[in-house]
Amino acid sequence: MSSMTIGGSQLDASWFLILGAILFTIGAAGVLVRRNPLVILICIELMLNAVNLTLIVFSRQLQNIEGQLFALMSMTVAAAEAVVGLAILVDIFHVRDVEDIDELSELKG
Amino acid sequence: MSTSQLALAVLLLPAAGAILLAGRGWRLPRLFTQIVGPGVVWASFAGTLALFFSKASGDFTYWTWIKSGSLEVPFNLLVDNLSIFMCLVITGVGGLIVTYSVGYMEHEDGPSYARFFTYMDVFIFSMLLLVLAGNFVFLIVGWAMVGLSSYLLIGFWYQRRSAVLAARKAFVMNVIGDVGMILGAFVLFVTYHTVTYAGVFAQLGVYLPGQANDLVLRSHVDSPTLELAAFLLLVGAVAKSAQLPLHTWLPDAMEGPTPVSALIHAATMVTAGVYLVGRMHPIYDLASYAHGAVAIIGAATALVAATIAIVQTDIKRVLAYSTMSQIGYMFLAVGIGAYTAGFFHLLAHAFFKALLFMAAGNVIHGMHDEQDMRKFGGLFRQLPRTSWSFLIGSLALVGVIPLVGFFSKEQILGAALSKPDDTLALAVWVVGAVTALITGFYTGRMWWMAFGGKPSPERAVEHPHEARLVMLVPVLILAALSVVGGFIQMRALGIGPSAVSDFLASAVGPVRWEEGGGVVMVGLVTMVLAALLFLAAYRVYVVRSWKTWSANFPWAQRLLERKYYFDEIYDAAFVRPMDAIAGFGMRDIEEPILDGAVVGTGHAAVAGATSLSLTQSGYFRNYVLVFVGGAIVAAVLVLIRSGS
Repeated sequence: MSSMTIGGSQLDASWFLILGAILFTIGAAGVLVRRNPLVILICIELMLNAVNLTLIVFSRQLQNIEGQLFALMSMTVAAAEAVVGLAILVDIFHVRDVEDIDELSELKG
Repeated sequence: MSTSQLALAVLLLPAAGAILLAGRGWRLPRLFTQIVGPGVVWASFAGTLALFFSKASGDFTYWTWIKSGSLEVPFNLLVDNLSIFMCLVITGVGGLIVTYSVGYMEHEDGPSYARFFTYMDVFIFSMLLLVLAGNFVFLIVGWAMVGLSSYLLIGFWYQRRSAVLAARKAFVMNVIGDVGMILGAFVLFVTYHTVTYAGVFAQLGVYLPGQANDLVLRSHVDSPTLELAAFLLLVGAVAKSAQLPLHTWLPDAMEGPTPVSALIHAATMVTAGVYLVGRMHPIYDLASYAHGAVAIIGAATALVAATIAIVQTDIKRVLAYSTMSQIGYMFLAVGIGAYTAGFFHLLAHAFFKALLFMAAGNVIHGMHDEQDMRKFGGLFRQLPRTSWSFLIGSLALVGVIPLVGFFSKEQILGAALSKPDDTLALAVWVVGAVTALITGFYTGRMWWMAFGGKPSPERAVEHPHEARLVMLVPVLILAALSVVGGFIQMRALGIGPSAVSDFLASAVGPVRWEEGGGVVMVGLVTMVLAALLFLAAYRVYVVRSWKTWSANFPWAQRLLERKYYFDEIYDAAFVRPMDAIAGFGMRDIEEPILDGAVVGTGHAAVAGATSLSLTQSGYFRNYVLVFVGGAIVAAVLVLIRSGS
């Protein structure tokens, strides 16, 4: 198992994975409990980047470049997602001021 | 113009008139309808006269309508003396009646006026198709179309419930006959593999029109198949001609306008059954049981209808039952093989019964649509021309010499009495003679009640007006024909000409035995007795010096007034069980099961969608929760699998 050397001390890969897991959990919890649409979008970005981190860690650890390529791909998709999500939000804000995402429940069956 | 073109023109002219009136008639002035409506019928009559005088005959095939395997249905018209004879009656009497309608229907508004003449022309076309058709398929087409036009005309005043019901009843009864007739034609097709008359009759080994003037020796013998076909065709004839037991529609059909009653329900359509038996005479000559049944049905109907006529109070219903009775005579005649006598009576009946109906129509018109004879009385002085015409018609119906009815009816009775070695003919003679006497009585009752005595206190109109010229002239023409018509055939007296028999000999065969020979005295005695009963009705219904017979027999009176309970029996036997079955089907099958299944499917879909829609809260976080929860479950499952 390889490990990273930062400033002379060695860091085990599991630290990065734990960080990714924590970031992802924070993001998921944010999406679930926060009500401001903008914050929810930020949380989604958080989750995506947590996954990216994980991908890169594994890529490095396994000496496999595909993980990094996948992370690049994921960033592109995240950018697109952010554009679409923000565009929708901007459009909604044109019509009314939404502070709570629960106000957007017109599609209730 | 060749004969075949002329025959086609005779057939199609009324159809063209009907199309013209249906398409444009109601938008154009009344004069257009008044000219086209009767005009095409008269044009058709002129064509028929041309056929008559050119002594035309032949079986003309115009095109092949259907060709499929061994089935080949040509469109062919059979022009022989029988079809020319029928066409003369249809277009001649029809022309008079349609002309009369110009006056009778004058109170109708524009569209209805044109509609009436459209229907009338459709009827004339259908009837001509029926008699000119040279194969069974077109016979059935014409047969069904006269039923249709009869339905349309009975229900002409469709705002009246009774008229609609009567029309429906007539249609249903006629369809029963149509089914019998179609089955009969089918049996013949299956047996002989052809639908043309010529093809079938050739295989029966009898003579064909225009091929020989005498009966060819019969190579064929009676068979159950032939009997079956003959009986099935008879069902059609019985229904169309309102004979027992399918007669109940005819009296109700009097709901239609009076010209309709005169044309369809007296002069032409109801005689189609007689035509059918005459046309199919090669079959009936062989099928002796079916042939006997024709005579028995005719005799029974003649008697039953005549007795019912004694108690009717509606003048048109008396005439309706009298029509049934007279057609019974015709059935009786063709049933014993006296075809020409039957057709002579058909002609005579067309004259005097159309006359009676139209004269009655004049009276009804003058009395503002009152038809109850008890509310007439004393019309003789007030409507002299109509009354004289009606009297001539009545006496012709009774069969008083020298009117046409005497010669035709007595020829039938004479033929029955003089038929050698036939007890059935003798039996129907007895019934026919008794009916002749009853005819004298009910006709007398009708005449004296309506025209004799003093005006009834219940009369709606004090001083009725004589009808207009357009309504009077056809009546007078028919009255003249009823007077002189008999002299073309005086076989009943055993002397002079027998034009009708000679004319029809080439189509239905010559007179089989010396009809009426040696029984002239019997005929004269019957006539005198009938005439005496006609006069006796005067004492019963005007002077009232004789108690009415019914006072002594109240049960008989009731039986006749209920028309032998035919309607009640049919109601109990067919209508109500059908209603019950239909009601059961609706209440217990249609509604709970069929409707239940359909409605239940809809309800299930709605309920399912409603319950599923509860999951669609519309809240973003709920969806995310489900998503995250799902992801966790999936992850756990993957871990479990990879761990094991």
